[in-house]
Amino acid sequence: MKSITLRKLRLETRSWVLLAPAIAFLAVFFLYPLLYVLSASFPQHSLVLYERLFTTPVYLRVVATTFRSALIVTVICLLLAYPYAYAMTRGGKVIAAGLSVALLLPFWVSLLLRTFSWLILLQDTGLVNALFLKAGITTEPLRLIRNQIGVTIGMTHILLPYAVLPIYAAMRKIDGRLLEAAAICGSGGLRAFFKIYFPLSLPGVLAAGLLTFTLALGFYITPALLGGAHDTMIGQLIAAQVTEQLNFNFAAVLCAVLLAATAITFGIAGIAVAFWRHSTAKRMAAQ
Amino acid sequence: MKAINRAGWTLFWILVAAIAIFLIAPTLISIPISFTETPSIQFPPVGFSLKWYRAILDSEDWRDATINSLVVATLTAVVSVVLGTLASVSLSRLEFRGKAVIFGILLTPLVTPVIVLSIGTYMVFSRWGISNSLIGLVIAHTSLATPFVIVSTSASLKMMNRNLELAGAGLGASAIRVFYRVTLPLILPGMVSGAIFAFITSWDEVVIATFLTDPETRTVPVLIWGQVRAELNPTMAAVSSILIVVSACGLLLSYKLRRQELR
Repeated sequence: MKSITLRKLRLETRSWVLLAPAIAFLAVFFLYPLLYVLSASFPQHSLVLYERLFTTPVYLRVVATTFRSALIVTVICLLLAYPYAYAMTRGGKVIAAGLSVALLLPFWVSLLLRTFSWLILLQDTGLVNALFLKAGITTEPLRLIRNQIGVTIGMTHILLPYAVLPIYAAMRKIDGRLLEAAAICGSGGLRAFFKIYFPLSLPGVLAAGLLTFTLALGFYITPALLGGAHDTMIGQLIAAQVTEQLNFNFAAVLCAVLLAATAITFGIAGIAVAFWRHSTAKRMAAQ
Repeated sequence: MKAINRAGWTLFWILVAAIAIFLIAPTLISIPISFTETPSIQFPPVGFSLKWYRAILDSEDWRDATINSLVVATLTAVVSVVLGTLASVSLSRLEFRGKAVIFGILLTPLVTPVIVLSIGTYMVFSRWGISNSLIGLVIAHTSLATPFVIVSTSASLKMMNRNLELAGAGLGASAIRVFYRVTLPLILPGMVSGAIFAFITSWDEVVIATFLTDPETRTVPVLIWGQVRAELNPTMAAVSSILIVVSACGLLLSYKLRRQELR
């Protein structure tokens, strides 16, 4: 008996040792650089750079633009992802396979190349404008890049898979018999969908929104190529501070703000999930 | 009522098809463009020519960048597979409070804004004297890629039958022998698909690479980023097409591995 406990103990210690390299690596090469940036944002332990950020209208506008773009893109992504994920769960084998290839192939192609493709498609002489002109929808080329439209299209395209996958995962867990039961009880179609299916899929929607929003906040390449001067996001400002102004400390302040925004979004989502579980548990207890 | 229902479903499937086209079409558009004879980007392409591909093959810049990219992506894949596999094997064997937290911490690079990580590694690696070197880039990319390996190997470990390991140990094999002869072969598909994902992550990564490389050590995405910002010409479409084919192969390979594992 004793020897088994001892062996188990030894195995456990060994298992901890296996975990150490990854933890050590991430601590030194991932966590330390992030902490270094945070500390660089307080030169001589003062908040003077934060004051500069929050009192300069230009910088505040960039922060506001970042949140606005991320929010717009998140809402559009969720609106497109929900029916898409539903189709993936409801379609036959062939349709589901086709839809998942269409979803995953772009996922594997670099963000830079996909943004480049949108640049080709959306420019004044691009395919989209050519089609619109030919169809007589417009009489002169629409301006689709160097503005919010370009940024929104490009970012939505890149983030859509991140929105679809969590929703799809939640939908697959929904027991189809619940809907059948609802239909037998006389509540089919849309009513059953909104009363049963939709609430059950909401955790997936929340996860998708969270992931899309936090990833959108940090975008740099896409707004730089498809946006104009008015659509500058924090990521671009950070890069410009480092490469053009050589102002590392101010770049660090912007990085800190971006990290804080990401962390706060996760915090809010965490609280929402906890509250949700609590209220669901309560409702079940009441029944 | 039935007619409305039908019309609703038709609309629904049209919407889904439109989203699928929205997803896939821009990804593939550069392939036809890359064969154009014209010196500017044109769709539909005019004529058929391979001159843009020849231009890439003849260019020393592209050749050097490709070699750098291959070296960095391969090393990233190797290092992150080692780190990630050990971590997920360890986590699969341990049961303790806060295990989910450790797992979450290991995955944080996935949701950290890349631009912040770029600035951080740029500042720190400059002080350590490993910026502008391929080693520095491999290290930074490994941070990004390891979580993918952890996710894919953990999935394999979850599907594995634990009793096989116990049987091996019961027959007298040492822990290390059990790992090499039983665990490793069983989770190999997860490791390989993690390696592929790690490779592609590094191969496509542009933000960190622009900060951590100089003209000597720059990778393919850095070169693309510089050229896209300067001017648009069909060379970019050709480069893009080549990379898309590489990515498609990666996707196909990892899909096949998953299928094999499920069987």
